[in-house]
Amino acid sequence: MTATHPALAKGDTVPALPTYSAAYQPQGVDERGLWMEMDEAERAMRDSIAVINDPKLIQYVREVVCRTVGEDRCRTVRVYIVRDASFNASMAPNGMMLVNTGLLLRARDEAELASVLGHEFAHFELRHSLTGFKQRRTAGDIFAWAGVAAMGAYRYGGTGAYQAMRTAQSVQIGAVRSVYSNSREQERQADLLSMAYLRTSPYDPHCFSRIWNRLMDEADATAHGRKQRSTRYDRVSFFATHPTDLERASYLRTIADGMNKTGEDDADRYRTALAPWRSQMLADQIKLNDFEGTDYLLKGLAGDIWTAPLLYARGELYRTRGNPRDLIAAASFYRAAISQDPANAEAYRGMGLAQMRSRDPGAVETLNTYLKMKPDAPDRAMISTLLQ
Amino acid sequence: MKRMAFPIAVALMATMAAPVQAGNKLIAKQQKVAVAKSALTVMPDREWNKMGARPGRNSETWTIDGDGLNDVTFYGGIENDRTLFREVSKKTKPLPHFSSTMLLTDLPSLFENSYTIALDTQLMTIDAVEPTTFLGAKGIKFSFTFTRAGEEVRRKGEASAAIVGGKLYMITFEAPDVYYYARDLPAYRAIVSTATLGTRGPK
Repeated sequence: MTATHPALAKGDTVPALPTYSAAYQPQGVDERGLWMEMDEAERAMRDSIAVINDPKLIQYVREVVCRTVGEDRCRTVRVYIVRDASFNASMAPNGMMLVNTGLLLRARDEAELASVLGHEFAHFELRHSLTGFKQRRTAGDIFAWAGVAAMGAYRYGGTGAYQAMRTAQSVQIGAVRSVYSNSREQERQADLLSMAYLRTSPYDPHCFSRIWNRLMDEADATAHGRKQRSTRYDRVSFFATHPTDLERASYLRTIADGMNKTGEDDADRYRTALAPWRSQMLADQIKLNDFEGTDYLLKGLAGDIWTAPLLYARGELYRTRGNPRDLIAAASFYRAAISQDPANAEAYRGMGLAQMRSRDPGAVETLNTYLKMKPDAPDRAMISTLLQ
Repeated sequence: MKRMAFPIAVALMATMAAPVQAGNKLIAKQQKVAVAKSALTVMPDREWNKMGARPGRNSETWTIDGDGLNDVTFYGGIENDRTLFREVSKKTKPLPHFSSTMLLTDLPSLFENSYTIALDTQLMTIDAVEPTTFLGAKGIKFSFTFTRAGEEVRRKGEASAAIVGGKLYMITFEAPDVYYYARDLPAYRAIVSTATLGTRGPK
């Protein structure tokens, strides 16, 4: 890792890969302190119940990092998969990489995952968190004060007090994250360096702009579903840390076009590696009460082929919203899932409950089929009561 | 940085603790009491503390040792198209709404999804579901496990719920799996067993 890098401005070309020195040790008081805190955080992370402890999946994500940034660079990385349905990944200055399941669900192929992880690795290689840490030392104080304010609100029993108390936890997490959030200029630098990784990797460099474009569309769908105005992608708000998404997607595409390089996307390998976790990730996403965003995501994952698990997930999504028309739609999704996979007992359960809620007499037969298929169903007694 | 802020925090809390009692109230044992500003009444078999802060409009929380250690929450008639409790952020994290057309089996999911969103955690499961009679109506009883974001404390809980006259009535209990859950579950169940729905309207 080199000590300094020339700042990259917009319009700069992709840098050549800097020389990389392994086993870098932190220098100076700030950096040593930061590493110490991160080491402590990593110890806790290793045993956290929020981390998915699947050696095969972790190894796979690590291999993607290695194929992206090269064997030398990836040797320092420790990957932790965090069960969190939001789209995010981050890398701490000591080499701890956190990858949310929400990112794994949204990436359509290995190349897209590679581009995001390469971007996070670029922050690490450029040692951005140290700069951020020095600039934002005061965030630690904000963290402490937020806790005090919540306590105060609780004691005074004022309006929203309960909430303040309940959310004190997330305020603290937010402040911790803010220490390590990067400035806009740093984001741009990391984008450019990650494009440099992609240039030397086997992947198609266009993947990065592809995933950003889709994220914008998903955010649009979410906003539309919640009857909110969609985010303005073309303007930078004063506090924004990332370049606007639209700007980002377009300069990433321009750079990729300029590379004149095609590459693999390895979509099949990605699908196989994620297969054991897909249903869990979809279930987590459906709980978020984001109907249109999730429906957009499901449509994207399906493409032209709706597989049984995706149809089932869509049934669950519609049944959860539960408007009369949603229940009809849900029943038809479950039915389609069953026609592809007649052994899917859960699809019978969903279909039966959707039918029952829309007072369709067919519910009885469907739910009885579910109970027959799954004699030890945990909700057997409850479903039987509904049938009486 | 933390070293500087900490003494201030302690000093501030010390000054605040003295004068204010936040409207928390002792609930006497073996006395019938109306809860959650509703016609729902219960008779606890031990003393409880009613928290001054309510999770939402038609609800209230009781505790023995403090919020987060053992909480019993009463939902006294959540109306159609209302959330279970106050939204954390209506704009970015809207909570699902109760619907009077819901089946009893939809209630655990409503509860689970509301918690998942409000507590920012994917670590929540509904463990067991069974039919029950609650407030003289067909009801559902379920148990659950969850862990809040950024915490490693595993919490367990139990709930009984029924839809009466299109409104959701529910009593839930939650406590850390270690020590508190098993210890205080009987006191919660005693509350649930005495729950009745009076004809009297909200106070």
